[in-house]
Amino acid sequence: MIVLRVEVRVFSGLEKFLPQKRFGEPLPVELPEEGTIKDLLHKLGIPENQVFTILVDGRHQPLDYTLRGGERVSLFPPVGSG
Amino acid sequence: MARFIRVDMSSRQVKSENVADKYLILGGRALTSQLVADEVPATCDPLGPFNKLVIAPGLLSGTSAPSSGRLSVGGKSPLTGGIKESNAGGITSQKLANLGIKAVILEGKPADKGWFLLKITPDGEELLPADDLVGKGTYEVTAICRERFGDKVGVITIGPAGEMLMHAAGVTNNDGDGNSSRYAGRGGLGAVMGSKGLKAIVVDSPKTFEAPVKDPERFKAAAKKFSQILLDNPTCGKGLPAYGTNVLMNIINEAGTLPTRNFKFGRFDKAAEVGGEKLAEVAKARGGKATHACHPGCVMRCSNVYPMPDGKVCAPVEYETAWAFGPNLEIGELDVIAKLNYICNDVGLDTIETGCTLGVLMEAGVIPFGDGQAAISALEEVAKGTPLGRIIGSGSANAGKVYGVTRVPAVKGQGIPAYDPRACKGNGVTYATTPMGADHTAGYAVTANILKVGGYVNPLEPAGQVELSRNLQVATAALDSTGLCLFVAFAVLDNPEGLPTIVEMINAQYGTSLTVDDVTALGQNVLKTERQFNQQAGFTSADDRLPEFFYNEELPPHNTKFDVKDEELDRVFNFQ
Repeated sequence: MIVLRVEVRVFSGLEKFLPQKRFGEPLPVELPEEGTIKDLLHKLGIPENQVFTILVDGRHQPLDYTLRGGERVSLFPPVGSG
Repeated sequence: MARFIRVDMSSRQVKSENVADKYLILGGRALTSQLVADEVPATCDPLGPFNKLVIAPGLLSGTSAPSSGRLSVGGKSPLTGGIKESNAGGITSQKLANLGIKAVILEGKPADKGWFLLKITPDGEELLPADDLVGKGTYEVTAICRERFGDKVGVITIGPAGEMLMHAAGVTNNDGDGNSSRYAGRGGLGAVMGSKGLKAIVVDSPKTFEAPVKDPERFKAAAKKFSQILLDNPTCGKGLPAYGTNVLMNIINEAGTLPTRNFKFGRFDKAAEVGGEKLAEVAKARGGKATHACHPGCVMRCSNVYPMPDGKVCAPVEYETAWAFGPNLEIGELDVIAKLNYICNDVGLDTIETGCTLGVLMEAGVIPFGDGQAAISALEEVAKGTPLGRIIGSGSANAGKVYGVTRVPAVKGQGIPAYDPRACKGNGVTYATTPMGADHTAGYAVTANILKVGGYVNPLEPAGQVELSRNLQVATAALDSTGLCLFVAFAVLDNPEGLPTIVEMINAQYGTSLTVDDVTALGQNVLKTERQFNQQAGFTSADDRLPEFFYNEELPPHNTKFDVKDEELDRVFNFQ
């Protein structure tokens, strides 16, 4: 089966769903071809409702965004300040 | 009875005067900017006898409205040459409001050299000699004043940088623990205070939440509702209390708009090492605090207490400062950042401006990028008043001129903060056009550009940025007049009941019948007043532009330039 690989980073508390990982630590993840962000979250065990901001290569994307492979995926709960 | 405290530093007379009707329902920025526009000649020398320093609590400050203790400090800025309102947390705003003081107005300039301290208590106001405080850092001045006048007093003060009239000097006041770290930092207003020979203002008020309210029951209900609106919002109620303002470091980095190496790159490989998550971890491990309120009654508590290896405490380390001394200088160690932050607080300099200035000095090769110890040594020159110290204290634009640097991130002479305008273009519009000089708080488009609060506008495209910045600049000018912290905007932008509840609190307090539309009109009027002052001071549309390199150099990783057209920028204030 063809797989794609992405590099995932989680922040601001989402790391609690990945017991072995620290915030910001790159995590390589493999998904089946045409895997989406939704599939990625499912595989990592991160509840969808905990994720507010999804950046793929620094651009905002929705949950149903289809990954191509090689992307840097960054996941955040709601954050803000100034 | 609301009153102004007018302090003539030429004759060293202090007067308490009634507030003219036109100022009665103004507060914070609306009041400081109106008073400056009415009383300060726009062409005056900012450090001469005709400039004034106006210090005002917001409309809601000193009441039980949550997170309403912000302080506005205004005048003509020595850094920009235009009008300035610089906004601070800390405990003095609430105290001034509880003493019935709508503003303290410092004016004139003494002919001799003596230094003074203004003491404000429920029994009256007086100027006391303060030559013994000269040359001392703000932490020591605050400690001495708390010892001398009681540990509950609020102390507004300047450091040696303000005494030496450095253009990047700020005006500080303390939090409830006595940390003199709550700065009205931007625009060099510390030098204005220094030019008048005033070292400190001590505000002693036994009350914090009892400013007069016309309809207490109605006010209480509205304030309670507003508290709940803040607590229900995930950013205000959870994100800010958990990680503080520095929670932004990682998201701004991942979005590729974190200015790195003096605005050369949009990402820093050590960003996670200096962000809010790491800061919270270290602060807790060393017995500090990951959450801390800058003034009583704040429900967001976005500050922190960071114990440093030398035993001192830097409280707080904010995002903008962590960026200015971190990624901007390619420094990846929080302890170095905290040390630079502490020195700025003590000597009395704005951290954003100083970070930009050190970035310019690194660009010039005076000190190497990434060299934290060299940055600390350079910053220590400021208190000594050496030529290098004075250049650092003069701000990024001046330092750029001295060293012949063209890559100077400044607008109207004021350093650009922690979001690159090429990959957060809404903020670029704000930096270019706000009457304040480059200022992220004046129209914080990071909300819709990056944080997806109050809608979404693609940060990499020019479309929609002018309208976004315009609306935010108007709303912010109004909000800065209420004394509410700007961060309430995260809740207000996404909750339709937010703004009406703020208006309800104001109406209950002042017996007015303002509407939401009146708030918009207030914001527009503040901007109009400020723009007029700047025009009279000599500013033109040519001043509403970013530095050249943002139009010519691409910013990795998105490889974008700033491309909002000049004629678009000139339409930001088309409501006038």
